[in-house]
Amino acid sequence: MSDDGAVSNASGNNGGEGVDTLGEEDRRTVEFREHYKRSEALLMAAMGDGDAKITSADALFDDDPAHSFATVAAEAAPPTAPPKKPARTIDEDDYGDDDDDDEDNESNASPLKSKGAAAVGSVSAPDKHKYSNITRPNTDGAKPEPPKTTDEVRKKLEQDKKATEDAARRSFHTTFYTYETDRDAMLEQQKLDELDRQVEAETGPGQAQGQNQKNGAAPPNQPGTLSGTNLGGSVNLTLKHLIARIDQKRNMVNATDTQLRTLMSEVRKNRSKWANEDKVGQEELYESMEKVLMELKAMTEHAGPFLQKVNKRDAPDYHQIIKHPMDIGTMLKKLKGLQYKSKKEFVDDLMLIWSNCLKYNGEPTHFLRKKALHMKKETDKLVPLIPDIVVRDRAEMEAEERRTQNGDIGEPEDSEDEEPIMASRGRKAPSKSNKSSSAARKAPPAGSEGTPGADTKPPGPVLNNAASNLKNEFLRADSDAPLEGSINGFSTPPPGSVTPFGANGVPGSNAPGSQVDFSELDGAGTNMAGLGVVEDADDNDLEYKTWKLITKKDRARIASERHRRFKGDALDPEQPAILRSKAGMRRWLRRRKQAEDDKYLDPSAGPDGKDGAPAAAETLAEGIEEEDDRDLPDYYDPVCAIPDVNPRLRWVEDSDGQLVEQSEDFLRVIPKGAFKAPTGHLSQKVEDNMRQMQDTRKICAKIGVVKQMQLQAQMYQNQFQKYDPVPFVEQDVEPMVVTDDGPVMSKTTCRAALQRSVGKIFYHAGFEEFQPSALEAITDIASNFFSQLATTLQLYGEFPKVPEERPTGDEIVWNSRFTEEESILHALDKNGIDMEGLESYVKDDVERLGTKLLGMHERMKYHLAELLRPALDSNAGADGAGAFNDGSEQFVSGDFAEDFGEDYFGFRELGLDQEFGLAQLSVPLHLLQNRMHHAYQAQHANTTTSVGTLMDEPATFEPVTTQSITQEIGIIQGFFLSKLHDHGDQPLVEDDNLPAKQRFPKPRLPPTGKISSPRKRPIREQQQLARKKRKLEESKDDGNANAGSKPMPTSIKKLKLDPPANKDTAGDPEKDDASAVGMMSPESIAA
Amino acid sequence: MADTKTAKYRQEIQQMMFVSGETAEPAPEVTFLIEQIVQQQVQEMLRECTALATRRGSRSISTDDLMMLIRHDKAKISRLRTFLQWKDVRRNVKDSDDKGGGDAAELAAGDDIQGVGASGPAADVGKKAKRTKVDLVWDVQSFFSEVVPPRDDIEDEEEEEMNYATIQRLRNADERTKDMTRDEYVHWSDCRQASFTFRKAKRFREWAGVGVILETKPNDDTIDILGFLTFEIVQTLTEEALKVKAAEDLYKKKTGAAGGGDEGSAGRKRKRETGLFDMPDEAREPVQLQHVKEAYRRLQKLPNKNKAMLAFTRTMPKSGLRLI
Repeated sequence: MSDDGAVSNASGNNGGEGVDTLGEEDRRTVEFREHYKRSEALLMAAMGDGDAKITSADALFDDDPAHSFATVAAEAAPPTAPPKKPARTIDEDDYGDDDDDDEDNESNASPLKSKGAAAVGSVSAPDKHKYSNITRPNTDGAKPEPPKTTDEVRKKLEQDKKATEDAARRSFHTTFYTYETDRDAMLEQQKLDELDRQVEAETGPGQAQGQNQKNGAAPPNQPGTLSGTNLGGSVNLTLKHLIARIDQKRNMVNATDTQLRTLMSEVRKNRSKWANEDKVGQEELYESMEKVLMELKAMTEHAGPFLQKVNKRDAPDYHQIIKHPMDIGTMLKKLKGLQYKSKKEFVDDLMLIWSNCLKYNGEPTHFLRKKALHMKKETDKLVPLIPDIVVRDRAEMEAEERRTQNGDIGEPEDSEDEEPIMASRGRKAPSKSNKSSSAARKAPPAGSEGTPGADTKPPGPVLNNAASNLKNEFLRADSDAPLEGSINGFSTPPPGSVTPFGANGVPGSNAPGSQVDFSELDGAGTNMAGLGVVEDADDNDLEYKTWKLITKKDRARIASERHRRFKGDALDPEQPAILRSKAGMRRWLRRRKQAEDDKYLDPSAGPDGKDGAPAAAETLAEGIEEEDDRDLPDYYDPVCAIPDVNPRLRWVEDSDGQLVEQSEDFLRVIPKGAFKAPTGHLSQKVEDNMRQMQDTRKICAKIGVVKQMQLQAQMYQNQFQKYDPVPFVEQDVEPMVVTDDGPVMSKTTCRAALQRSVGKIFYHAGFEEFQPSALEAITDIASNFFSQLATTLQLYGEFPKVPEERPTGDEIVWNSRFTEEESILHALDKNGIDMEGLESYVKDDVERLGTKLLGMHERMKYHLAELLRPALDSNAGADGAGAFNDGSEQFVSGDFAEDFGEDYFGFRELGLDQEFGLAQLSVPLHLLQNRMHHAYQAQHANTTTSVGTLMDEPATFEPVTTQSITQEIGIIQGFFLSKLHDHGDQPLVEDDNLPAKQRFPKPRLPPTGKISSPRKRPIREQQQLARKKRKLEESKDDGNANAGSKPMPTSIKKLKLDPPANKDTAGDPEKDDASAVGMMSPESIAA
Repeated sequence: MADTKTAKYRQEIQQMMFVSGETAEPAPEVTFLIEQIVQQQVQEMLRECTALATRRGSRSISTDDLMMLIRHDKAKISRLRTFLQWKDVRRNVKDSDDKGGGDAAELAAGDDIQGVGASGPAADVGKKAKRTKVDLVWDVQSFFSEVVPPRDDIEDEEEEEMNYATIQRLRNADERTKDMTRDEYVHWSDCRQASFTFRKAKRFREWAGVGVILETKPNDDTIDILGFLTFEIVQTLTEEALKVKAAEDLYKKKTGAAGGGDEGSAGRKRKRETGLFDMPDEAREPVQLQHVKEAYRRLQKLPNKNKAMLAFTRTMPKSGLRLI
């Protein structure tokens, strides 16, 4: 066995690969088929009676899977099994699809071996196993094809459908579908719901009863095979190995059949409502039938008339024409009542509906015919999806099995052995990548080999059959006789079951048969495209149809919800409002994400999108609310839409987790000078004028001062405020950041700027100062005026356009009514501004004003000059500037006397010249000089401090010190001593040498020469007196410092200048304080 | 003609109209209408002046108030200033001539007309007596706190600059007097002397109701300025009325004497047009009443400037009498 396995793996160069590579190529299979044919021929020849000895148990054992139910299997672990077997089986199990290849390989590669094995008679288990392995292809190669293809077709169709739906679903958000069909959808849905309810009501109890009956009919202690229990269909694929194994080792399992059965049924999942232990194949068949029926029902557009029985009122003569009325509702009832035994019955009923309709409505143009034809087409498409299963009672089946085992045991076609495996393979086959075309090619050889029975075996019964092979002894007596009979001859000729392949098929292939053929031809070869073509053949757009089909339920629901909110034609205030739900928002987000991914990232980023979508959705507290999935675009649920966040406001973090400043993208700095008057010729001139005015005003102020000085004898320092003009500087706004382009909408700032301009104009108009209220008022008026100007301009700009006049032009060109220039001129005119006015303003009020101001400035300057130097005035006469009129030589020569002539003193007149014989009569120069000298001296007498040192200054007195005191005369020494003591033993200072303030005032002598007033006391004494006085006062009144306050400053000064005070201060706190205060000079603080 | 009884200035108005371009003799109704308009205007002016004076805090009006009223008409202001200057000159000359005797009257007659006719003697007088400048209150010197005497060496060339309208007016007068005979020119210059106030100040005061409107008796300058302004009013009105008439004539010519109504006259007119020796049109027909009325209406029309601030509001622009 191990050798075989090794050989099979090694020798089959292709097969070895086949194990690994699941995908199989056609070329290879074809090759295999040929090999297989040869080997089979050999086998057929070589096979002997030994085959019969080979029990199916062995075969099953061989096939035993070691899967999840290994615990159960472990109990029944075969002691005879070689250690390698499990591996082998595992291999087979894992690569179940490739078993065929392996076996093919084996058969191909070692025909002799297999022959040998056959000759040996398969005594040993390995051999048996091998044999079974070899023989399996016999049927395997050909048999699985029919079910496989059917399943494939069905799967394919379903897949295609799903793909189409998915595609449509994805495209929903790209197309906007109107709501207009919603109402129809709602009504239809209501109809359907009603129908369902009806069916439910009618069939509900009966069905339950029927099931009970059937259950009751099935004996509880069915000792049959386990495999018989749960033969619902393909659902049980995973279990079949286990079942087989258990069956094989039945004696080692310590459990009753019922126990096992319940265990199985508990373990099994996905049991549908159709599942029935006693009805073999019912679950699968009914499920698909129901699906088809629902689908047909859902095509409300066309299915509408067929939903219910034809009413007598609508068609009185209906029952005369139509003998067997049928409708979808009735079919549903029948379905629920489990009245269908096979696919054929079901399909017949369906076709009956359409044919009834076509029959009754013979008129070719009748609208119902169209619908019926459409429905028929749809039915044709759907029918292949139904597995060809005949529902049979288990009992009956078991009976048949028993019979076959008993009767046909000698059959050369070891069907019992093969069938179970075969069947199981057959069930699995759909997942194989074998194309149906290849299957079609394979079919004939199978048929030619004379195994039609095996060929035509439908999967379900086959499985049943095979599984129950072992249990012949449990064959039921009460099994249905006729059925048994029918089964008897062949392995499985179930009534009505049709071979999908027409080669050996039932000659009288009726509708179902043809259906199958059709689907085989059409559906197998073509896939989605074929389906698409078929649907495109309809008058409507495929996408739209799909849309309608898929979303119908949801749309109907929403429409009805909406509808509920209305009472009559008005909104019903009592109804609850449609609120946004978290689920809805989540859905919205998901859709959006999906749409984005579809659009931008396409398939490559699929996983990303999937990752992203839930992430986004999770933020909305997934799971808090029930998620109801709807296939409707967002616009059906506008309440749940989440508005987009402005990208600028989003919180975006960079890779380091730092917040990305979005603001940088859109913040702008206000350009410089936005709030300044633009520099231009006019503004330049205006500013020049203003500067000129300031200059002139300065002169004006000077003139005013001079004039005032002329009038006023005495002047005060602050009488004239100096006119000190500051040049006008317009200040721009501080560097500011705004978030948008366009003008800055800051009312206050703009107003301030306008105010400044208005102020400038004021000044330019000659107002040196103005009241703020006036400025405010004018600013208001100006802003009002300008806004009106702008509004007018806008109105002219928005004037209705006029068509361009063009004689031949076929299309009308619309021009604006006014050009920009016209608009501006119109706006200006409407606001009372004409160009002449503007021009004259510039000319007269700006330019000429400049010249006028210049002239005025000159005048002012001249006037000021006149005022300051009146003599310079040309009108001042000979004494003033007029003195220079006649050459002005005397200023150079100094000979003023010349004008008077020589005879200044009239000597000549007197005749003195003759008398004295004077040569010249002019005044001798030295005399004049002398007089001038005296005049000079007299003039400067006051200012000179000393005329000269007339006598030597007496020697200064020696200052009296403690050392020199002895030189003084004795009588005065005591006085000096006390003085010195007072002075802190410092040398005494002369009164004259004291600082000016500390000197004793000199007694002034009145004109009378009598000293009337007593000599003033020295300041120090005064201080002491005052201090005493203050002490007295302080004792009485603390606050009154008037008396002391005046002397205090002087004392402070004196103390400050008199360092010896320190000595005395010790006993005099007041003095100390005062000195302390006095020391608070800036220097002391600094030090 | 009952109205004309009260007409006091028919002669003067006729003369003024003649100077202003009306060649034919206007009907008494026309002159009376013009007189009434002028009267209304004068009264309005006096009233406004009083209001301005009151605002100033003064009980008597001054020449500045009158100037203020016409401040927007720069041409008129310019002419008025010239007029006042020459009046000043005349007064000075009169003063000097009173001493030395001589041809004061002659000079005065020449000075009153500040146009072409007066240029000859005025130039002579100008040399003798420096004409003083009449300053406007809102002019540059008002900008400054100190009033300084004008300087002779700084020429204010702006004074020489005449307004376009004034120049045009003078040019028209020159054109008309160019081909005049001596007698005609004498008549012309007589007409140019026509005034509401000259040597009939008392009549003017009564006529204008000055005593009623003003609290105090206006000085001579005010009366003189009013006289000048009334002349200006008549002139403006006449010019406008002539324009209206010209437009009407043009229209009639185009449409074929629709005004007359009879086809015959239209035919004759057309025939006459081709005539080589036809008189100019305006010589034949004086301005009619409707022309003056239309001219007055046009002059009273509120310009956009006065309505601008009322745009986009529901306020109806209202205004009193507009000064011509």
